[in-house]
Amino acid sequence: MDTLNNATFEAIQLLASGDSELWNIIGISFKVSTTAILIATPPSLLLAFLLAYGNFPGRRLLISVFSTLLSIPAVVVGLTLYLILSRQGPLGDLKLLFTQSAMVLGQIVLCVPILVAMCHSALQAADRRAWETARTLGAGPARAVVTVMHEVRFGLFAALLAAYGRIIAEVGASMMLGGNILNATRNIPTAIALETSKGEFSQGIALGIVLLILAFILNGLLHYFQGKGRFAT
Amino acid sequence: MDYFIISRARVDSQRDTMINIQFKGIAKHYRRRTILDGVDISLQDSQCTLLCGANGAGKTTLLKIMAGLVRPDSGTLNTGLGEMKWRRCIKALKEKAMYMHQQPYMFDASVRRNIAYALPPMLSHEDRDKRIYEALAWANLEPLATASATSLSGGEVQRVALARAWLRSPSVLLLDEPTTNMDHDARLRTHNLLRQLKDQGMAIVISSHDALQFQSLACRQLLLKDGKISPVNTITQAENVSAFPINPLQQHQQV
Ligand SMILES: Nc1ncnc2c1ncn2[C@@H]1O[C@H](COP(=O)(O)OP(=O)(O)OP(=O)(O)O)[C@@H](O)[C@H]1O
Ligand SMILES: [Mg+2]
Repeated sequence: MDTLNNATFEAIQLLASGDSELWNIIGISFKVSTTAILIATPPSLLLAFLLAYGNFPGRRLLISVFSTLLSIPAVVVGLTLYLILSRQGPLGDLKLLFTQSAMVLGQIVLCVPILVAMCHSALQAADRRAWETARTLGAGPARAVVTVMHEVRFGLFAALLAAYGRIIAEVGASMMLGGNILNATRNIPTAIALETSKGEFSQGIALGIVLLILAFILNGLLHYFQGKGRFAT
Repeated sequence: MDYFIISRARVDSQRDTMINIQFKGIAKHYRRRTILDGVDISLQDSQCTLLCGANGAGKTTLLKIMAGLVRPDSGTLNTGLGEMKWRRCIKALKEKAMYMHQQPYMFDASVRRNIAYALPPMLSHEDRDKRIYEALAWANLEPLATASATSLSGGEVQRVALARAWLRSPSVLLLDEPTTNMDHDARLRTHNLLRQLKDQGMAIVISSHDALQFQSLACRQLLLKDGKISPVNTITQAENVSAFPINPLQQHQQV
């Protein structure tokens, strides 16, 4: 009990004193996950739009593929990309393994299914009249797409938040693809997982606090947007 | 049928008053069911057409096809450049025609922004403001300009939609049962606004199962039944004239 108290106290001190190693880890987490979301969002949105409004063979199959991928374990993504990126793998020449780029890649793979599935259901819930009204008022397809997305923006924000929440706290893929290298690929979850096992409790607790606060904020926003979305329709 | 009432706009602009747009052989099936089975219809400027038909007759489907929102299984179209396949002039059709839903859709924004949507995007700031203001005034919506459009009453929604139509000013305006669930006053207002749009030169098509209501506005009445269109000869010219007061300018022109 005493060690826990001490460690918690130290953790708060670490956070408050701006410990550079700690904040570096936090920074890497946010940088990697934000990059992944930024890259993953545009194609996911486009795909979600096609799935919701398009009419092409294989549409239903794709929808069920993406909802299946929703529950893919992070370590499986990590393993698969590891094999692809490792020196003997097909993309081994790119020398991406154990870099932030590899982590970004892993997180993209993890968040695309969430983005696609949730954006798809948000877009599908949009009133058909929104699209028709936009088009008949003279909007071209691109403007009409933006308009419909604006109509369901709360649902789309919710998708972004859910996706972010998943990848920022994810250990498996980051560990396998990043390798937990200090100041390079050590992010919050890998640091917690590995440093704690070495007996460094205070850092783990400090990072845990950060993740908890983040989860709290993300959840609050999610509820806010989902509530908004419900009232808007 | 003769066109007896000459609108101001038509005289003023001296524009081509011949057939504006012509649809031929429009057919549409859903699954195995035939909804439209070779519909021919042509529209002229300043002409109001009443499209009657029972529930499920295919009125909405036909109007959406005529607005370019739904693609027919077959059919040709003449927008003035000769008869063409559907795919080739769908763009021209979309530019000419505008469809108004039975319950018009309001974007989740202010009334002002809903109306502004109908403006072309390339417009100077002052022009935009001026035209939005004019549209608000035209539909009597000034007090509601900043209100949220999603919380309007049915009659107000209708007026916003008509203001959008007025701004966009399409050559063909297609209205799907525009006055269902409206009280008497709202109906009169809608009729009044529609008459102004018609006088500006728009070809208007109104779908309704209640033909009587629009007799004062309509020049002709068509019946959609079993996927085919046939004219109905209930509106005579005499009725057409006596049913509503004509403004002095028009009366003068008729003489
Ligand atoms: N997207 C669609 N898919 C399948 N069937 C459709 C579709 N749209 C319309 N239908 C069918 O086509 C028929 C005609 O529909 P439509 O909405 O055009 O009728 P309507 O004349 O407008 O009826 P109402 O007076 O009730 O508005 C209906 O039986 C409807 O079920
Ligand atoms: Mg209908």
